[in-house]
Amino acid sequence: MARIFWVTCPQCRGRFYCHWEELRGKGIPLLCPYCSRTFLDSESPAIQE
Amino acid sequence: MDLRTFLTSLERDHPEQLVRIKRPLEVARFELTALLAHLERQGKYPALLLEQPLNLKGEVAPFHFVSNLYALRARCALALGLRADQWQLPLSLEYARRETQLIPPTVLRTGPAPAQDVVRQGDAADLRDLPIVRHHAMDPAPYIDMTPAMRDPDGGFYNLAFLRTMYKGPRRLGIHMSPRHNWQIARKYEAKGRGTPLAIVVSHHPAFYLGALNVSPFGVDDYAKVGAIMGEPLRLTPSVSFGDELMVPADAEMVIEGEILPGVREVEGPFGEFTGYYGPQRLRPVVEVKAITHRRDAILQHIFVGHRDNWVIGGIPKEGSLFNVIRGVVPTVKAVHFAISGSCRFNCYISIDKRVDGETKQAALAALGACDFVKNVIVVDADIDVFNEREVLWAVATRVQADRDVDIIKDVKGNTLDPSQTDDIMTAKLIIDATKPARRPFPSRVEIPDDALGRTRLEDFIPAEILERLNVSTEGG
Repeated sequence: MARIFWVTCPQCRGRFYCHWEELRGKGIPLLCPYCSRTFLDSESPAIQE
Repeated sequence: MDLRTFLTSLERDHPEQLVRIKRPLEVARFELTALLAHLERQGKYPALLLEQPLNLKGEVAPFHFVSNLYALRARCALALGLRADQWQLPLSLEYARRETQLIPPTVLRTGPAPAQDVVRQGDAADLRDLPIVRHHAMDPAPYIDMTPAMRDPDGGFYNLAFLRTMYKGPRRLGIHMSPRHNWQIARKYEAKGRGTPLAIVVSHHPAFYLGALNVSPFGVDDYAKVGAIMGEPLRLTPSVSFGDELMVPADAEMVIEGEILPGVREVEGPFGEFTGYYGPQRLRPVVEVKAITHRRDAILQHIFVGHRDNWVIGGIPKEGSLFNVIRGVVPTVKAVHFAISGSCRFNCYISIDKRVDGETKQAALAALGACDFVKNVIVVDADIDVFNEREVLWAVATRVQADRDVDIIKDVKGNTLDPSQTDDIMTAKLIIDATKPARRPFPSRVEIPDDALGRTRLEDFIPAEILERLNVSTEGG
């Protein structure tokens, strides 16, 4: 699997992961799978990469 | 050949194989997969027939819904017209036999196709009317996880593959494609600035899906392969959206027609995948739905991805196809098995009646070259039952010296969903030669004399009622 990074949803605090090369720092809104909030990775309270 | 006929015979002849769920079930809120998980924890794998699945609007849908159909090889054997007890090697060999004889499809021109009893186009083709399963906690939406059909714009052949499609709106799906055949087709259309016509075959006879998972080079017509596995020509009809440009199975229960939009990428996933892990959220193409066609009272289905249902159906076609490939270079191949322990994808066990030492690696390399899913190959002698993983590992324990019998091949195309890969595409392949050496004496495995087995019968020494009470040991350790 390609490199991933974990993000935390700023709304529900749910954690999920994304494809690093395609989505890290690209300014593309991520979709929280738990509450459907969209947010930029820069808005994530915590990032593990 | 259709799904409803198969289910009727399954319920009549093997009632223990099919459980009807009569109460409404909200499949988009994990209720179906929760039921399946409870059963799985008890080691039970019936097919479930939901009589009242809820659609995405929370209403009882006018469809039935079948789940877990492929979780037992016995049901797959029945789907190919075999007996349930032929679920091991005979099933693999039957698949191997059938897949070599392509049966081209026929076109139904004499009347409306059953799959188009009901036709909804444009805004009337509303995915919210369907029961669509949300499988695992980190899935962001319900997913249809059955088989889109695409037609190569140059060669005219069809490709079928199980691809996940994420519900994004009433007429919008996200679609995940690994860099395999369907991805190549979609790239060709996109390079010309065109959308890719596709038809998701949401539900059909199980032999259709076993055929769809064949291992063939790019360019082989999957509709003809499906015919080979079904044992009769697949009946086709023009799609309502694309006409003869995209033919669809006439006897399907439901088909969703649409177009992959050129140049459009949106976030999709995470999605619980066949590996048992989630694939990450990433940018993926988008499908615009153009039509939903179905039979009256259609019976829909899904695959319980990441579980036996998903693993078993993927393993059987690989066993059959790779048996044929390996036989081309090692004629004494006896069996090929994709074990549940490797999601029926990664761990491939091959038995051969070895005559010379190099045959082991010939067989392993043929398997690795033919199917990029294959990651770890263990080759054993013909006295080892590859369907019994304990025997395979016993052979590894007693016939392998790691410094001599293990090979690692780096940087080979693997699968993007393998969580252990650090590269998006490439992986390392492992070959374990667990066969006895051909050129030096080797000890014999222990055995009870045949004549003693013949004259010493259990029932003569242990009363039947006690024998019946003895539990079958399932201890693995």
